[in-house]
Amino acid sequence: MIRALRKSEGFLYVLPALVFVAAFVLYPFGQLFYLSLTDTSLLGGGEFVGFENYIKAFEDRSFWRALEFTVRYTIFITPVLMGGGYALALLTAPNRPLRQITRGIIFLPVVIGIGSSSLLWFWLFDQQVGLFNRILVDIGILQQPAVWFTKADMGLLAVIISITWKVIGFGMLLFVAGIQSINGEIGEAALIDGGNYWQRVWYILLPLSLRVILLTTLISVIGSMLAFEQFYIMTGGNPRGQTFTSVYWIYQNSFISFKLGYGAALSIILTAIVLVFSTLQVLLSNRSPSQ
Amino acid sequence: MHMPSLRQAVFAATLTSVALVPGAAFAETLSIWARASSSNAAQHMVDLWNASHDDKVELTTIPDNQMVTKLATSVQSGDVPDLISFDLIFMPDFMKAGFLTDLTDELAADPNQAKVAQAFRDLASYEGRLYGTGFTPDVSILLYNKDVFAKAGLDPESPPRTIGQLQEYATTIKEKVPDAYGYYFSGSCGGCNIFTQAPMMWASGATLLPTSGEAPAMEGPGVAEVLTMLKEMWEGGIIPESAEADTGANFFSAFEAGNIGMVGSGGFAISALKANHPDMNFGIAPLPGLNEGQASSFVGGDVIAIPKGAKNADLALQFIQWQLTDEAQLEGLAKNLILPSRTDLADNKYFQAEPRYIVTAEAVGIGQTPYAFHFNDMVNADQSPWLTMIQTAVFDGDVEGAIEEARRAMQDIAAD
Repeated sequence: MIRALRKSEGFLYVLPALVFVAAFVLYPFGQLFYLSLTDTSLLGGGEFVGFENYIKAFEDRSFWRALEFTVRYTIFITPVLMGGGYALALLTAPNRPLRQITRGIIFLPVVIGIGSSSLLWFWLFDQQVGLFNRILVDIGILQQPAVWFTKADMGLLAVIISITWKVIGFGMLLFVAGIQSINGEIGEAALIDGGNYWQRVWYILLPLSLRVILLTTLISVIGSMLAFEQFYIMTGGNPRGQTFTSVYWIYQNSFISFKLGYGAALSIILTAIVLVFSTLQVLLSNRSPSQ
Repeated sequence: MHMPSLRQAVFAATLTSVALVPGAAFAETLSIWARASSSNAAQHMVDLWNASHDDKVELTTIPDNQMVTKLATSVQSGDVPDLISFDLIFMPDFMKAGFLTDLTDELAADPNQAKVAQAFRDLASYEGRLYGTGFTPDVSILLYNKDVFAKAGLDPESPPRTIGQLQEYATTIKEKVPDAYGYYFSGSCGGCNIFTQAPMMWASGATLLPTSGEAPAMEGPGVAEVLTMLKEMWEGGIIPESAEADTGANFFSAFEAGNIGMVGSGGFAISALKANHPDMNFGIAPLPGLNEGQASSFVGGDVIAIPKGAKNADLALQFIQWQLTDEAQLEGLAKNLILPSRTDLADNKYFQAEPRYIVTAEAVGIGQTPYAFHFNDMVNADQSPWLTMIQTAVFDGDVEGAIEEARRAMQDIAAD
């Protein structure tokens, strides 16, 4: 009896959280799934069509091309953000005034909206008035200002540069927290044993901050798989739709072509794919060593 | 017993007196949504109304690319503004969806409605009923830099009258003027090109957007010729390289740099250039067709309508009828160098001082606006058949293949 009461008591404690999740996650998700089984238009109307939207999605070459591009973007940008973020964390982790100021400066773009930063970089890359182009010409990397968004690879590179500037500080901050939480005595012991800087990084800091690295990678991968604003503003999906991301294609279908039902089906498919990625990373994270 | 204070007594007396005065009413506030690109014109009209009426109008500007979504979601949720000003091209979709209030009887009784540009009256009609009227029009024209023309040895007072001449003049500019380009267009912007390239096609006799799955699409003289002209100018370096990736951000600003010979643009360019580049010597001409005497324009701009479920529909109707009066058209629009939606007021005292406006006013008369459902899907979307056709033809060089593919895709969309 007491055990049963204790069980109920525990349930009561988590009830507010469960209600919150049910109202703001499960119910909308259920609605989204139902919508994906209809041919609802943004302009109204819609009938139940079963799994027709899913069948259509599997035959939609543009969606799979957009997904492939999204995965490519994620594969390229994740090591840059993680590697760069960790390197910056190593440089700025000690709490000394100059390093703290540097940390603040690197983190500053994180608080800028992604729409604003994308617009800023869009004009920095402009062929006629772009400052970034001008600098590259002045230091001799380019012969003349480049048009960045006429080639998919150049457009992708431009977006990666802008996003790296925008979010690398976020990863750095998490890594700094991870590095600072490592017991300093371990490093001191390694120092006494004659370990040099890179040996301490490789054998002590990296293994002991692996959980933070995996968590940050998970957040970064999910963010990259859901990329939209930066491509919407900077490349507009061009050239010839080669820089459409999955979310951009969902937006196109839902809000430009008014096909809400089909857009919902694409969203469910993308959610499932992201869920698989996330589960894999969480499993990896659980197997990593803790301090 | 509680005795009322002096303040309470005065308040009660005021309420009673207001209630007893016949016809006494509180002033209302109307809400109007206008898309960003026409909000300047809408603001002039709103200011003029507010200066002379007790009931006030409050304008909310909506980004152009969010207007369709915003209206659709607001109607679905039942929380709509009293008035809405949006791109007339979306009227067919909105009327068909039942988003707008039927104004047939009210507008039929208004003598000014018959004087509104035909394109607005056509686009605001669905199955014999009328759902809105003209508000802030704009038309597409050919904008050219007279100084660049002069440097190239061309007559600044003789703009091209055929697309052949346009290509010839653009080539001459590229050859004769260092650092200048003959022509510019936004190569990744469907809406910009339906506004500026399509009129050259239908001036030549082409039929562009299908109204059903079986209706003709991208057919007739002009389609292949205009695309070929653009392709040849692109291949010849007459168009700047940046045009290929321009999603519309440089639609107007490219010309402002002063090194572009010609560009398809809108009537709005006149006041914008006069304000921002008072020294620029520019001219305005109709968009030409294949042969001499052929010219056309895209009559664009905004319609005004009352969304279904508007809380102040009666007052909203008063605003619509007022904005068609001589006073509103001349003092609200023409005085601010904006085209009136009534064609009988195109030649007015404000425009007579600036002959370039006469060209835009005339363009309203010769212009067209395609009546098509799924316009967004066919034209505006980032991978629309219309835009894909232009990109494939101009940048990839496959004109015939591009037209064939666009025709098939547009008819599929129209049949949906």
